[in-house]
Amino acid sequence: MNDAELDAVYTRLCKTMTQLGEAKASLFLARFALLAIGEMNDPDASLKLIVEASDGIAD
Amino acid sequence: MNKPFKPYPFTAKKYAARVPALEKGVDVKRHDVTIVGGGPVGLAVALGLANHGVRSVLIEADDSVCHGSRAICISRRSLEIIERLGALDGFLKTGLPWTGGRSFYRDTEVLHFTMPQDENQKLPPMVNLAQYHIEQFLLDAAEKRAELIDIRWQTRVKSIDARDDGATLQLTTPDGDYALETEWVVASDGGRSTIREALGLQLKGTSYEGRYVIVDIELESERPTERLAYFDPSSNPGSTVLVHKQPDNVWRIDYQLRDGEDADEAVKPDNVIPRVQSLLDMMGETGAWSPIWITIYKANALTLERYRHRRVMFAGDAAHLVPIFGVRGANSGIDDADNIAWKLALVVKGLASDTLLDSYSDERVAATHENLSYGTKSTEFMAPPSFAFDLMRTAVLSLAARHPEVRSLINPRQTSAITYATSPLNIADRDVFASGPVPGAVLAEYPVTIVEAGHGREAHLTDLAGPSFTALCFTDDGALPAAFATLAHALRASGLPFRAVPLSAHLHPRAQGVHAWDHTGRIFERYDARPGTVYLLRPDGHVLGRWRDAQPDDIEAAIARALSASTD
Repeated sequence: MNDAELDAVYTRLCKTMTQLGEAKASLFLARFALLAIGEMNDPDASLKLIVEASDGIAD
Repeated sequence: MNKPFKPYPFTAKKYAARVPALEKGVDVKRHDVTIVGGGPVGLAVALGLANHGVRSVLIEADDSVCHGSRAICISRRSLEIIERLGALDGFLKTGLPWTGGRSFYRDTEVLHFTMPQDENQKLPPMVNLAQYHIEQFLLDAAEKRAELIDIRWQTRVKSIDARDDGATLQLTTPDGDYALETEWVVASDGGRSTIREALGLQLKGTSYEGRYVIVDIELESERPTERLAYFDPSSNPGSTVLVHKQPDNVWRIDYQLRDGEDADEAVKPDNVIPRVQSLLDMMGETGAWSPIWITIYKANALTLERYRHRRVMFAGDAAHLVPIFGVRGANSGIDDADNIAWKLALVVKGLASDTLLDSYSDERVAATHENLSYGTKSTEFMAPPSFAFDLMRTAVLSLAARHPEVRSLINPRQTSAITYATSPLNIADRDVFASGPVPGAVLAEYPVTIVEAGHGREAHLTDLAGPSFTALCFTDDGALPAAFATLAHALRASGLPFRAVPLSAHLHPRAQGVHAWDHTGRIFERYDARPGTVYLLRPDGHVLGRWRDAQPDDIEAAIARALSASTD
């Protein structure tokens, strides 16, 4: 994925979430995470991402 | 906290109003081109026309170059244009060159970006200088061409009667009012364009809610010139702050207001000064400082649908408003000026059909859409328009230190030269080129040695492109093929600005005339060229067409097609 493609996906994600509204944003992101886990089809990689995504959030 | 304001370290010369010779209240001369608005765009149009020997009248409402916090970043592409306009020296002497920037999230650096810069370049990717400098250097160049550029200060447009055969402007000055008849009008009268309003035209697009306070301060500091962005800094939690260095110890600080903050309150010095102080403390800047100018900014992404309306062409902020993030405002206006000037000059001189001016609109509207797509992305990051953009930005920033794959989302997407990929003027490639600038693109820069009468001087490829159609003829022996010399002679005899320059991979000390020696060998390689190849440039330096084994007929037909441009 090049920078422009990442940009386009990022913007689409933001706009979709904006349309759904703040109240449903967590559910949307949770569903997106589940679908991404399924798409990756790699338990070790998924577990690594869970660690990395949570890393530093508590600060 | 109270601090006395200082003025900008610049004194603008004041100019008096002047009313020309009138007959029954009308300027006795009917003018070919009248430019409304003497900012960077209007001055660049006047200089561009002057390069083709075309006279213009420049109408400016104020009595001097501009004041206040405006454009400060001038791109390499703009510098190339400004060089052709004869005003580069001041920009390079006064401007601060820079090549990149840093973004911080809280206390951590999360992005260090650089703009394209290598040993092939003649000019820096960006220079910072104040808009009063920009206008002053262009004005200096215009005053040297007073026989072609007639500047009328303190003159305002009251109304315009725009017709199929020209326009009449009703003008007002402190010394009296008069009317002016003109064949063509270039409206470069800014974001609140009088001409645009008078023609009942409206900008369309998106206005953003996020607001920034823009502060210029004077501060002595040895810090290098680069773009600094602070997200959620300890000095101003929850906000975003941008810092740019300008010449003469002037610094530009932009910071985002929080939702719900009152704009009128926010720009009061009592509220601005502590925030600036706390930012400077965080940056470790301990020098004395003074505020110079405070204003508020909201990002707009707006454009007219078309930039030509019969005899009136819109340019710069009068035609489009692009967000400040990515520095595309003044730079896109200078591009507009460069595009319209040669086309209008050739139409005025009777060398081109007026449909060539439609290609100005086609090309520059497409450029605006590209500028807006990047500018919009920068704005969505710098001033998130919804909770979702805000949340995702926090995710990007908090991951970026350890995850380089997300860093490109922080990049400010600085302006770069635009390719007119869909221009109706382009000659589609007949031959396959593995590399090199495509039709509609500007030249990729490389060093060359220009050889004349056995003497060589170091130069760059863009030095070969003057304000004319230019055929870059790749040759074996450094001599222009006889058929091209004949063509050049014939085209020039018809009044057309045309040059043909031979390039060679080898030095030919005894070659007749002038040739450019590709002493690094990179141009032949990167342009996928061999002897017989020609790249044909327009007077604004964009490639019109290219051929592997060009015949003079190819060149002649490409130019004839452009001059009689029809957009079907």
